[in-house]
Amino acid sequence: MADIEGSPGSSMHGVTGREPVLAFSVASSTVPTDTTAKFDLPVDSEHKAKKFKLFSLANPHMRTFHLSWISFFTCFVSTFAAAPLVPIIRDNLNLTKSDIGNAGVASVSGSIFSRLVMGAVCDLLGPRYGCAFLIMMSAPTVFCMSFVSSAGGYLAVRFMIGFSLATFVSCQYWMSTMFNTKIIGLVNGTAAGWGNMGGGATQLIMPLLYDIIRRTGSTPFTAWRIAFFIPGWLHVIMGILVMTLGQDLPDGNLSALQKKGEVAKDKFGKVLLYAVTNYRTWIFVLLYGYSMGVELSTDNVIAEYFYDRFDLKLHTAGTIAATFGMANIVARPFGGFASDYSARKFGMRGRLWTLWILQTLGGTFCLLLGRANSLPLAVTFMIIFSVGAQAACGATFGIIPFISRRSLGVISGMTGAGGNFGSGLTQLLFFTSSKYSTATGLSYMGIMIIACTLPVTLVHFPQWGSMFLPPTKDADKASEEHYYSSEYTEEEKKKGMHHNSLKFAETSRSERGSRVVSAPTPPNSTPNHV
Amino acid sequence: MAFPGFLLALFLLSCLAASCCGVTFSSLQDTLIVTASPQPGQVLKAGEDKITVTWALNTSFPAGIDSAYGTIKVKLCFAPISQQDRAWRKTVDNLKKDKTCLHKIVAKPYSTSNNTFTWTVQRDVPTATYFIRAYACNSADEEVAYGQTTDSHKTTNLFEVQAISGRHVSLDIASVCFSAFSILSLFGFFFLEKRKAKASQTK
Repeated sequence: MADIEGSPGSSMHGVTGREPVLAFSVASSTVPTDTTAKFDLPVDSEHKAKKFKLFSLANPHMRTFHLSWISFFTCFVSTFAAAPLVPIIRDNLNLTKSDIGNAGVASVSGSIFSRLVMGAVCDLLGPRYGCAFLIMMSAPTVFCMSFVSSAGGYLAVRFMIGFSLATFVSCQYWMSTMFNTKIIGLVNGTAAGWGNMGGGATQLIMPLLYDIIRRTGSTPFTAWRIAFFIPGWLHVIMGILVMTLGQDLPDGNLSALQKKGEVAKDKFGKVLLYAVTNYRTWIFVLLYGYSMGVELSTDNVIAEYFYDRFDLKLHTAGTIAATFGMANIVARPFGGFASDYSARKFGMRGRLWTLWILQTLGGTFCLLLGRANSLPLAVTFMIIFSVGAQAACGATFGIIPFISRRSLGVISGMTGAGGNFGSGLTQLLFFTSSKYSTATGLSYMGIMIIACTLPVTLVHFPQWGSMFLPPTKDADKASEEHYYSSEYTEEEKKKGMHHNSLKFAETSRSERGSRVVSAPTPPNSTPNHV
Repeated sequence: MAFPGFLLALFLLSCLAASCCGVTFSSLQDTLIVTASPQPGQVLKAGEDKITVTWALNTSFPAGIDSAYGTIKVKLCFAPISQQDRAWRKTVDNLKKDKTCLHKIVAKPYSTSNNTFTWTVQRDVPTATYFIRAYACNSADEEVAYGQTTDSHKTTNLFEVQAISGRHVSLDIASVCFSAFSILSLFGFFFLEKRKAKASQTK
């Protein structure tokens, strides 16, 4: 059953609970291979790749993967490019702490909206042009840094550059047109993690560029402006590569996607309703704000913190700050893996506990980071904090597919927006006013992480229970089918709209943990025609 | 036995690194008289204008007080108004951690006469309100005395520096050119492909 391209949540369709996070390929027995297609990788009937070959640039699938994650990486580099150079910029523009803090808030706020719009843009123009448009139209905003001469200008430019973080959406959307749904979880997770690394890489790149430019004889206040040209050029180069080397679909470009007049199978209003009225959505929006959100906030403040607190040179502070963001390369996949591993024995309860443990660990070490008075201790605490927070991000998306089947896309989008919102909020609360030093701000942020992770104890699935409570005793309600089909009205069920959800419900039975084998198949579940 | 030993070492290391010994500002005597050329409220341009600093020992102090003075370090220091909301310029008593005087003007060996220096305000000096302070250091390079152009509350005789903007016309032009290239190539590609698609459709 092919989904209509672009219908709400379609990019995550097929993501069940069963595929292990580190699945590199789909066995031919589960998804039939199209043997007539002449691609480098085995493909399914839609010509989407069934295998994920990391070190390959083969057209179109792996090439798309690399173009996509590098574009997202570039946007992270430019969004956080100012952060390691703040010690120079604050002297050039005569900034106060609140100017710096407000600009940090602005840098993450823009993408809350741009990510929502990007979905529609990808629907209209396709992910290739969605990505190219965004990355090439935000290139001028990066070049604009050379004009900035006041706090207001600085804030405005950082706000505009921040819009480019919506490449996250084009990245995930583009992957879903190229990779089979059974491995899309791994592919999207890797692309997201590697893109996020840009926030760490920029802390290394920008001070290095600044140093090199200074050595050629530039004064500090000009050198940082010149340094910004490099992220700008990266935007332009990636935009051109995406347009010339990329393609929207495995078989070619845009035309097939232009099914104008074809209405999405599901009504957006309904999908939104079921996302918004599910209390678990809001708990995860909050939680992601304190895993991804604090990661973004820390990207913005950590280099300046090390520079000031420990009197380091600019590039030393940058190197230390970079290790925070670069931990994403393994930490985020590790979180997903830990979630899957705990689910094997303990089911959904295991996933919830894993998330709580990882995120609380991150919060504890964030608290300790603010208190650390010596450099080696501070660096150690920072690294453990980064692993905790980033693994928690991975573990969050190990649970999200189970909250709802119908509204999965919207919930994923809302969670993502929650991340940015959490980042803006923590920067506003703790890193903008002169009431707290940055060290105190970090400690308070750690406390807030621990506090805002507690609501995960309230997440209860009738069929699987929660962290402390068992599944409900009511035999009717304690079935996966009941939970997922409760998102459809009787009328919609008569039309057969809930069949995909029922298929998903059956595969999600793995979330019972080791009890799966003994679980009886409830009646009225899988329809006899699929 | 190794583990407690390691913990002890870590504990000692962090203690040491935290805040060890350090000369405090409050322990220094105000024995130097420092004067500088800028008038109160004058605005100097970074990279262009010059400051002439003169310092001498205050003779009202007993003789021999300057026996330990080896070097005089003259620095440009932030006035309180430029330290507000900017914790990276905070005044702290422990001189190792003090960030009041971040810009060095000159370091000269101590002598009893002819202590003067003319300095062009460097191009990395930020826009702020300043005064000038001179530290007398002993042979171990520790501060033992000081003198400054302002009073003890740092409110009188302050001057301002106007920093360079760091902007250049050539940078601005380059910026505009690359931005234009970005936008034009984007729309160029887009319309080119649309035309190709139309052409292949009509074929």
